[in-house]
Amino acid sequence: MIWKIAKKEFLLNLMTFKFAVGTILSIVLICVFVPILAKAYQERLKVYNENVAYNQRELGKVTVYKNITPTVYKPPPVLAVFSEGLEKQLGNSATIQYDEVPEISGSAANHYLSIFSIFDASLIFKIVISVLALLVAYDAVSGERERGTLRLTLSNTAARYQVLLGKMLAGLMVLIVPITISFILGLIILLFFPMVELTGSDWIRIGFMFLASVVFVAAMYNLGLLFSSLARRSATSLVLGLFLWIIFAVVIPNGSAYLATQVVPVESEDRINEQLVSLQREASREAARELERSGKSFMSGHSERSDAPGGGFGHGYVRSGSEAFIHNQQVKYSINVPVEIKYADRYAQVEDGYLRSLFEQTRLAGNISRASPITLYENVMSALAGTDMVSFRQFIDVVREYRKDIIEYIRSRTDNFTSLSFFTPCTKEELKTRPKGDTAEPLELSDLPRFVYQPDIVSTLGRVVPDLAFLMLGNVLFFALAFVAFLRYDVR
Amino acid sequence: MIRQIIHKEILENLLSFRFVLSLVLIILLFAVSGFVFVGKYKQRSSDYWEKTNENLAGLSEQSSRLYKLAFYEQSVWRKPKPLSLCCEGFEKTLPNCFTFDVFSADLPEIKGRSNFTLSRFSSIDWVFIVSMILSFLALVFTYDSLSGEKQDGTLRQILANTIPRHQVLLGKYLGVVITIGIPMFLGLLVSLIIVVASNAAVLSGLDWLKILAIILLSFLYLSVFILLGMFVSSRTSQPANSMVILLLLWVVFVILIPSFGRIISEISGKAPDPAQLERKLAEISTEIWSNTERFGERAGNASGNLSWPGNNPPARARLRNASANAHNKARQDYHNKMLAQAFTGRNLTCISPTVIYQRASEIVAGTGINRIVSLHRQIKEYQAVLRQYILSKDAEDPLSLHLLFPEEYLVGAWRAISHNPVDFDTVPKFREQDIGLTKSLGLAVWDIGLLVLFNLVFFAATFVSFLRYDVR
Repeated sequence: MIWKIAKKEFLLNLMTFKFAVGTILSIVLICVFVPILAKAYQERLKVYNENVAYNQRELGKVTVYKNITPTVYKPPPVLAVFSEGLEKQLGNSATIQYDEVPEISGSAANHYLSIFSIFDASLIFKIVISVLALLVAYDAVSGERERGTLRLTLSNTAARYQVLLGKMLAGLMVLIVPITISFILGLIILLFFPMVELTGSDWIRIGFMFLASVVFVAAMYNLGLLFSSLARRSATSLVLGLFLWIIFAVVIPNGSAYLATQVVPVESEDRINEQLVSLQREASREAARELERSGKSFMSGHSERSDAPGGGFGHGYVRSGSEAFIHNQQVKYSINVPVEIKYADRYAQVEDGYLRSLFEQTRLAGNISRASPITLYENVMSALAGTDMVSFRQFIDVVREYRKDIIEYIRSRTDNFTSLSFFTPCTKEELKTRPKGDTAEPLELSDLPRFVYQPDIVSTLGRVVPDLAFLMLGNVLFFALAFVAFLRYDVR
Repeated sequence: MIRQIIHKEILENLLSFRFVLSLVLIILLFAVSGFVFVGKYKQRSSDYWEKTNENLAGLSEQSSRLYKLAFYEQSVWRKPKPLSLCCEGFEKTLPNCFTFDVFSADLPEIKGRSNFTLSRFSSIDWVFIVSMILSFLALVFTYDSLSGEKQDGTLRQILANTIPRHQVLLGKYLGVVITIGIPMFLGLLVSLIIVVASNAAVLSGLDWLKILAIILLSFLYLSVFILLGMFVSSRTSQPANSMVILLLLWVVFVILIPSFGRIISEISGKAPDPAQLERKLAEISTEIWSNTERFGERAGNASGNLSWPGNNPPARARLRNASANAHNKARQDYHNKMLAQAFTGRNLTCISPTVIYQRASEIVAGTGINRIVSLHRQIKEYQAVLRQYILSKDAEDPLSLHLLFPEEYLVGAWRAISHNPVDFDTVPKFREQDIGLTKSLGLAVWDIGLLVLFNLVFFAATFVSFLRYDVR
């Protein structure tokens, strides 16, 4: 019986004007959006490749260990086509330096583009198809009552739960049609672009994206069903549904962030800067103490030097210098660099404290906005696309590990920062005699640790599951409420 | 007769369920916008004055030695505006701090209390409520204005009367305008009462005029959607169908097209990349420093001791100024590219009335991206004024070399610029100038014209379509 009702509803809905318009619109939008988004991805990938190549080139020019300051970049995720998330808002690069721990930061790209809102393919699902779900659902019960067909159906042996379940199934089947078409079409267009390569884990992510889209749209449909079984007139259920939709789509996502900034205001950066300044002073005092403890001393005398440019990453290097200068440099680096490395961690602690207060605010905003299924869906999609906050934090964590590797590498190569090769490629003899204009050979860095960043699918799914569960819970809840309302529905 | 129709429409709407819902929602949102504005404005004002006084105190310290004025890095912060109540213009994600000395200006930055990890959201200002929520309500009120009456059979009865069709149309239009106007007007009132009563912001006479202009703009904007709703309603025979079409049109106009701007400007392939700017600046430095002789003999060498024979002050000054100018030019190009990107995106999305309305309100309120551009320009002008001031004061000092170039140590040691103290009151200080109402209306005239055009087109379309409407 359920099946019969579902089939009838399904066929009826397929023939409706709203279904045709909604499906055609989403197909047209996919055909317009995806090529544009893929092109944008291509541009980003080009810039990324340029930057990586530049780094590789510069690494080949490094003449002294001090100059190993490569910048690493987060590869642009191809699935950002489906969900942009924070991709354009957060910085996607970090420079490795021994005296600074990389931090998550705002994007350095064009601030002025923030006058435009986010644009990705999931807009089609979260706006167009969710509206379509409401439109399909709003007259499912109240419309049939108005037309008088509900009475006829129930005069049969069909139980009420069967009727509602049938309607739910039918709605789901109807809505899966545009979702599936949009996904398949989008992927085909995407794969047309030569730069796009989807790996196995990408396909798993896409699979989950599809699942999330279906669950989300089903939630919106069940909501519409609830309103339809609450109201006597279909116009009323439509108006109710649309009001709630605008609250979900517009008011909650914007209002929650707005509210969070009021409830948990972030402190100004100034206090952090004060703390950093005092830490810097402490660092220089500690360096002086270390110097005393080590028993080394600075040599007096002429401190003449001459630097040569082109030591990699825009730094120069010492090409010649008086004996006193070289000795003093050596002492300075062997004492200061370990202290600076130690203090870099302490600066990072202070900054992490500040960032934690930002995350606190963001988390609150996120939790408030979970009241809207649209935000839940957004969260799931951006986590799957690898464009959410956590992905960026994981990237920075990997970069920090990499920085440690690099420091360890330099330490082992330069005898704990004491050897000459830390700041000059020349031997003691050469430093005195080296003629002007002579350039040094670059360092042999083939065993330098490589930077590898691979987004982890297991942790992604770990983030996705709670929000997805919430969405499913919403489905069950809305349907249960619709069921209760329908049981008491006066079909006359 | 037309008054009777308006009367009937208003009464019918006022008694409807959707009116109650929208009244509650709109007043609530306006109240929230008022309260949040008050809190934020207080906070921002105190931050602003703190920073500005800090900056001025620093500047006055420098006035003990003239040359120091040139090297003092000033930070100018964006002043919070009372009219951001009406239209914030995305200012919280736009640069708010401009750092500069006489020679160069950094790229504008976002500093202070801002949380970059928060996903992008719109502030709930008036323009947001009108452009997103009220435009939606305009459609909810009009989707069945003709097709609904046809379905109920009342349209036939009205037209059986002696009333011509255009009067029916006009009556319905005005009826909806007034119905939408009621929650909006009440909301505005609530929001203004909250702001005025809290005494947080002082609204000047000009501000009130601008508020009036923004309200008029809002009506113009909503009228587009009302007419759109009536047009679609007159093209369909079933209200459900007109709702479907209207909703999808709304989604396209209000949500999709405005967010299109960014991507359009990104795929052009000319997106400025900060890493490229850094490389370019480094290249310029290398280029200049490897050809120092171009600026005069021994320009590359310098010692703080003026009597050292290796020094060549005029050459050094030329070198340093050339380097600063080249850097400035690269930064200016980069900045112009960024702005061009944003403006291209915006201009291309002007097929959506929402973008036009947003832009026009920003211009009238004096907020948004145009304000940043104007601030940036004013800072450039101020730099020139300050430079002129330093040079004219320096000319009075016979001991100085009269060479102004961006190398603080040498300018101080050589006395390239006078070390005499100056009266701080005579030092020019930066003050942001607002655009006047007439000028801003002049700038907004295109947008207003476009909105009027939208109105006329939709009105004509509705009129023609209703004349041929089959009321049976």
